[in-house]
Amino acid sequence: MGEETRLSEEFEITGGDFINGGMASCRIKNILKEIGIDAEITRRVAIASYEAEMNVVMYAKKGIMKFILDSHRITIKVEDEGPGIPDIELAMQPGYSTATPEMREMGFGAGMGLPNIQKNADIFNIVSTVGKGTNLEIIINLNNKNA
Amino acid sequence: MPDPIFYHSIKVDEKKCIGCVVCMKVCPTKAIRIKEKKAVVNAERCIDCGECYRACPYGAITPLTTKTSDITRFKIKVALPSPVLYSQFGSNVMPDQILNALKEIGFDYVYDEALACEMISIAIEEYLERNKSPRPIISSTCPVVVRLIQRLFPSLVSLIIRMEPPREIAAKNLKRELSKEHKISEQDIGIFHITSCPAKMVSINKPETMEKSYLDGAISIKEIYNQLMAQLKRKEHNFILQTQSQASGIGIGWAISGGEIRGIKQDASVSVSGVYDTIRILSDVESGKIKNIEYLECLICPDGCIGGPLTVENRFLAKSHILKLIRKFGGKNRIDISYVKQLYEKNFFSFERNIQPKPFSPLDPDKNEAIRKLKKKERILKNLPGINCGVCGAPDCESFAEDLAKGEKDLTIGRCVFLGE
Repeated sequence: MGEETRLSEEFEITGGDFINGGMASCRIKNILKEIGIDAEITRRVAIASYEAEMNVVMYAKKGIMKFILDSHRITIKVEDEGPGIPDIELAMQPGYSTATPEMREMGFGAGMGLPNIQKNADIFNIVSTVGKGTNLEIIINLNNKNA
Repeated sequence: MPDPIFYHSIKVDEKKCIGCVVCMKVCPTKAIRIKEKKAVVNAERCIDCGECYRACPYGAITPLTTKTSDITRFKIKVALPSPVLYSQFGSNVMPDQILNALKEIGFDYVYDEALACEMISIAIEEYLERNKSPRPIISSTCPVVVRLIQRLFPSLVSLIIRMEPPREIAAKNLKRELSKEHKISEQDIGIFHITSCPAKMVSINKPETMEKSYLDGAISIKEIYNQLMAQLKRKEHNFILQTQSQASGIGIGWAISGGEIRGIKQDASVSVSGVYDTIRILSDVESGKIKNIEYLECLICPDGCIGGPLTVENRFLAKSHILKLIRKFGGKNRIDISYVKQLYEKNFFSFERNIQPKPFSPLDPDKNEAIRKLKKKERILKNLPGINCGVCGAPDCESFAEDLAKGEKDLTIGRCVFLGE
């Protein structure tokens, strides 16, 4: 497949920046709409990328979100420099959260971030090293919809 | 020029338009371009929000509402005033007087829409209790919000409450009752919404959820105002009123933002008004940012329907008048709840057919081609000054780059005054 029909963009995310948090996922959503990606797929990408972006804002120092679109799938990669997740299985449980009371007051920290990403992704990979950071890979296929 | 696919409630008067860019700059969907010194509306992108009508300094944008002279073709003429009308004549003129004045100027019947609003408040509660579907459920009252969701947020279409708004429910009821009472065909009964909103004409002429609207037209408050005012002045000392309203503050309150949720019990309900804030919150709903909200009331005009472009009274005074009426008429429902529930059971409030998503056309129907055009757009955008002056005839540099990437006829980068020939 030609390079012309592959689209990739990179966004820097700053930890603690709640004002700009959500801008990268919003930009991704608008790109998908301009290209004419199916509304339901666009919504799944929007939700998964927003949750991933806000996780960086809430917990990490900084991070990079990569967005890649090719003719079969949309891939979102998020690499952050943060505290890492000691127990991924626990973090994946709906309702489990390490959010501070301040974050909860802002409406975050319901413990649905990672489960929501998983729910909306076709493939979801997570690798985390305590003290170093967390890497996410979210893949959403363009053709066979996730029921 | 009528469009076969997209019907709209406003048109540009080419004689008055000087191509000043004001309407183009305020359009929230970037539907307007200036071509050869005239505003040209892209019918696909227009959602009938009325921002251009509001902004035009030359009166070049005309709303296509029903003229009062058009009502004569019906045997029985019914006025269905939006509660907004009660905010237009100062705070000492009461709803009864206004309903009566409507009757005096030539309507056979006048029905207070506020009553239907109260019914719908009860029906919304019933709907929220019975439908445990994803949240938030979004109001269907504002026809522009419905259109905005279809176009800009197609994935949210399924969240719109599948229930007709008060004006349609009132009209449906009236058609049935009056045709029975007078033994005439429903076609001989003309029901006219007295409205602050040109977009009502769109929902009447091209309804999304039914074959044919129960309303036969929408008369602008602006158009009928002088006649009503004259009548109200003449009737100042008339204490015997023929037409009485039984509405409470709940129904009257629908005229302002927050009115719809005031009448329902669900605490976790939110009201938003104004086109830009509506777009913002719907975008947040789409990203899953809005959590734990039951019901979302969005109205496209600032402060709700009292901010509609076809009103006469200052919006802030109008709001104050409505708040006064809400206090006066109280928050106790005057509608028989069991009657509403019976109608609900019979699907009286339900859509005949579901709303369909109608997303804007992508950059190209072919995905690979669309990606190519998106990249081209980004390249062009990098070269543009980013000042968003609008002189090229597009509202901002991004739109100009998009038009160029799409290959709009006769459009070259030389149109940018900063890059020049």
